[in-house]
Amino acid sequence: MTTNKNSSEMDTGRRHFLAAIGGAGMLIGLSGTAYALRDEKIYIKTSGGALVVDLKKCMGCGTCMTTCSLAHHGKASVSLSRIQITQDVFKSFPQDIEMSTCLQCEDAPCVAACPVNANKASEDFGFVRDIDPAKCIGCMQCIEACPQTPKRVQWNPITRSAQKCDLCLNTPYMEEQGGIGGVQACKKVCPVGAIGFITELPEQNLPQSYVVNLRNENWAKTGKTIED
Amino acid sequence: MKKLKGFAGKILHIDLNNLTHHILPTEDYYEWGGGHGFGAKLFWDLCEDIEAVTDGRDPRNVITIAGSPFSGTNVPSAGGRCEVTNMSVGLIPRNRFTRSNFGGHFSSMMKHAGWDAVTVTGKAPYPVYIDVRNDHVMIREASHLWGKDTHETQQIIQEDVASVEVTSGWSGQLDGNSFGRTTQKASVLTVGQAGENQSALGCLIHGAGNAAGQGGSGAVFGSKNLKAISFIGTGAVEIADPEALIKARFITRDFYAADVDKSAAFAYPSLGGKPEAVTFSTMPTGHRVSSCHGCVNGCKQRNAIGYGNEVTCQTSLWYLGAVRSYKFGGDAKLSLSNRGLELTEDSLYAGDLANKLGINTYPIMGLIPWLQKMHAKGELGSGKEIHSELPYELLGTREFAEQFCQAIATGTDIGAHFIDGIVPGIESLGHGADVDNGTLHYPYYGMPEHGYDPRAELEWGYATLMTDRDMNDHGLNWIYWTVNLAKLEGINFPIPAETLVTRFVEKMAPYVQPNEVSAMDYASHNMYSEVLARQVQWINHYGRFWKNSALMCDFRWPDCVNTHREDLRGATGNDEVGEQVWWNAVTGEGISYVDGIERGRRIFNLDNAIWVLQGRHRDDAKFADYIYDQKMTHNKLPTYLWPATNEAGEWDYREMLGRQHSREGVEEWKSHYYRAEGWDIATGWPTRSLLEGMGMKDVADRLEQVGKLGSET
Repeated sequence: MTTNKNSSEMDTGRRHFLAAIGGAGMLIGLSGTAYALRDEKIYIKTSGGALVVDLKKCMGCGTCMTTCSLAHHGKASVSLSRIQITQDVFKSFPQDIEMSTCLQCEDAPCVAACPVNANKASEDFGFVRDIDPAKCIGCMQCIEACPQTPKRVQWNPITRSAQKCDLCLNTPYMEEQGGIGGVQACKKVCPVGAIGFITELPEQNLPQSYVVNLRNENWAKTGKTIED
Repeated sequence: MKKLKGFAGKILHIDLNNLTHHILPTEDYYEWGGGHGFGAKLFWDLCEDIEAVTDGRDPRNVITIAGSPFSGTNVPSAGGRCEVTNMSVGLIPRNRFTRSNFGGHFSSMMKHAGWDAVTVTGKAPYPVYIDVRNDHVMIREASHLWGKDTHETQQIIQEDVASVEVTSGWSGQLDGNSFGRTTQKASVLTVGQAGENQSALGCLIHGAGNAAGQGGSGAVFGSKNLKAISFIGTGAVEIADPEALIKARFITRDFYAADVDKSAAFAYPSLGGKPEAVTFSTMPTGHRVSSCHGCVNGCKQRNAIGYGNEVTCQTSLWYLGAVRSYKFGGDAKLSLSNRGLELTEDSLYAGDLANKLGINTYPIMGLIPWLQKMHAKGELGSGKEIHSELPYELLGTREFAEQFCQAIATGTDIGAHFIDGIVPGIESLGHGADVDNGTLHYPYYGMPEHGYDPRAELEWGYATLMTDRDMNDHGLNWIYWTVNLAKLEGINFPIPAETLVTRFVEKMAPYVQPNEVSAMDYASHNMYSEVLARQVQWINHYGRFWKNSALMCDFRWPDCVNTHREDLRGATGNDEVGEQVWWNAVTGEGISYVDGIERGRRIFNLDNAIWVLQGRHRDDAKFADYIYDQKMTHNKLPTYLWPATNEAGEWDYREMLGRQHSREGVEEWKSHYYRAEGWDIATGWPTRSLLEGMGMKDVADRLEQVGKLGSET
């Protein structure tokens, strides 16, 4: 990751931070999303928000997943959800649950991998990394590029395109306005408040930096730990 | 009927005699709703000779595991429930079509795989398991799984199902002509050794501790040489009005459910209940509350101690009395006066044992104090009148629990007497009098008391007499827990009795009018009243549709009282987030709250017709002798307070301990109930006009063939 030191006139982002994401071959159709600079690297602005999770608070109900797919696709599905809760009920707490959300990476390898700029970070939407299904050609390169396990970019077998968390920008089945400044369906619906939303992205080199403690004294009164 | 959303559209029929499978169109079963309705109609349609099947282990038995339109959705506390129906094992005076249910993620995964239910007939020639991956159905040889415990079995199957990794963390599953992806493990329902050995105490286990056992469904699997059923799905549930569904769920979250970030204050534990593990001794803080799919607030737990995951409710207390007895003396009878942390770990350990071996813990909990007593009297032990090599002096320890559970599951040592059930076993040992006199608490149909004595908790006893099993409906029962636990802890219960009962009867349409508060009056002077019959009718009919068929969680629905609402009025039946709101958003059908209850009446009457075919008569519907002959003197909590009036008509929470039923009174109540249902008062059989009025002429014809139609007069 390279920080651009020559872009202050372009950078209206809160953290004045731009991330380099690859080579000059990515310049096709980059209007409003990324910038070609003199060092021939491509930069995108930091996302204006991301989801964070409390792995000790989640109860594994999966409501976030089916609500996500409902909001985006109008049907209840786990496979189509952009947040993935995986659990092994035979493991001990807290290793029994993983909550996998898109990190809205600053260097966003999935954006860099897209050959047709379907995967982008638009200025109009707070630079949330998002995939336009109409543009996606189904090459799956963005899925492969995601460094996380499980991959945070999903394959939609119905549309034969890739999809990822857009912080509820494109939610035709949710009454509320989504996206940064709006409602994130998974966060709003979570019965125990195990999902949070941040506008300051955490340290990118620490894998656990999106895992937070969302438990307070009231949680302790129900007999459960509030320690990290 | 128009095509409805919410249903997957297919019911999977497995014929184990021929090791084949067939698809039944769900559309043919819409009118039965899902869950229990599906199970009852499938039993009616597929059981070759209902009258002749007298034991659930008969290969002709039909066992159905059914979801509902809500399965796999985010309908609050309904997305993961699953209904099991089958002919029972081990009940008296005869077996009957019965039900159980369980939670977790099985029904949701079944729906995502494209199936509304799976129904199994016949008997496989060798051990098999059913492996369903979307629409691909395999009946597979299971010799490598036979003998494995329930946890190991699930893990082996899950590993096999997830073997095709398409990209990091995602496995691939064929989905028609496409290739679906999922991060999820297969959802597996399996039996342990108890089920394999066809024990009446065997149950089905899914996950670490989701169990269906009352009625011996584990024995049914074992008798069919069926070890497990597994589903993995990468599909979706079509929703009629997804925007309405999301909106209602948000409203539920914001205005009806507990928000423990804001307050840990008392919350009435239906829809507004807090996310807390329902265990009966203090939990170490190192645990999470866990839940079924789509739950609004979970009731199970997973632990840091390395065992006892999802050992919840009954399973957490079957050995609690024994642990307390061993550590502190006294008998092993269950008491919750001491719920200290020092009892927890051994109780969870024992719960784990039962879950792994697939043992129904209700019957064995009732057996433990009796074994202790018999051992103390010198009648049980090595070389004694009842021979057993178990270390009874260690009853209450992990070592005893291990040996005892193994004996029960394998039908060896003391377990050899109880393969066909506890009461038949006690009788075969020559101690049937201990059932009659209440030394053993098996108050109805040879089933163990669910924890709520019929002499105190009237609706539980009455509804059980009118159905097939301990009714297991906590709709009113939370009153017992909240009021009596508050009393134990010295807290003033915050809702006046008259206010509480008013909120309940407001929801009891169409059987009880909003001003008929006497429907909740459990005073002795009201025990056998006509209005109490209509109250139980509401429980049975509401439950048969909204809970047993639509599969809304028994712990969370109905929501009659909600302490997050200023007027304490719960969600049930209201226009904002009531039961019908969810049904209509998911299916697009457009029914009312009462329409659902009417469907429950129809399903319940099909049940009754099946029971009548199986030999049921009014004379069967009676409690064990001790319920009539002795006063209730003991409860697991020090009190059994319930709303009741005094002779001046003043409401309060009044003590139910110290009373008994009269045979004449119960018979009087039964007559009220039969009249309310339109059943023949002399026999309890349905009439032709009743059945035809519900569109069940074929059922009436069948009953007439065997001379079991009730008299119209």
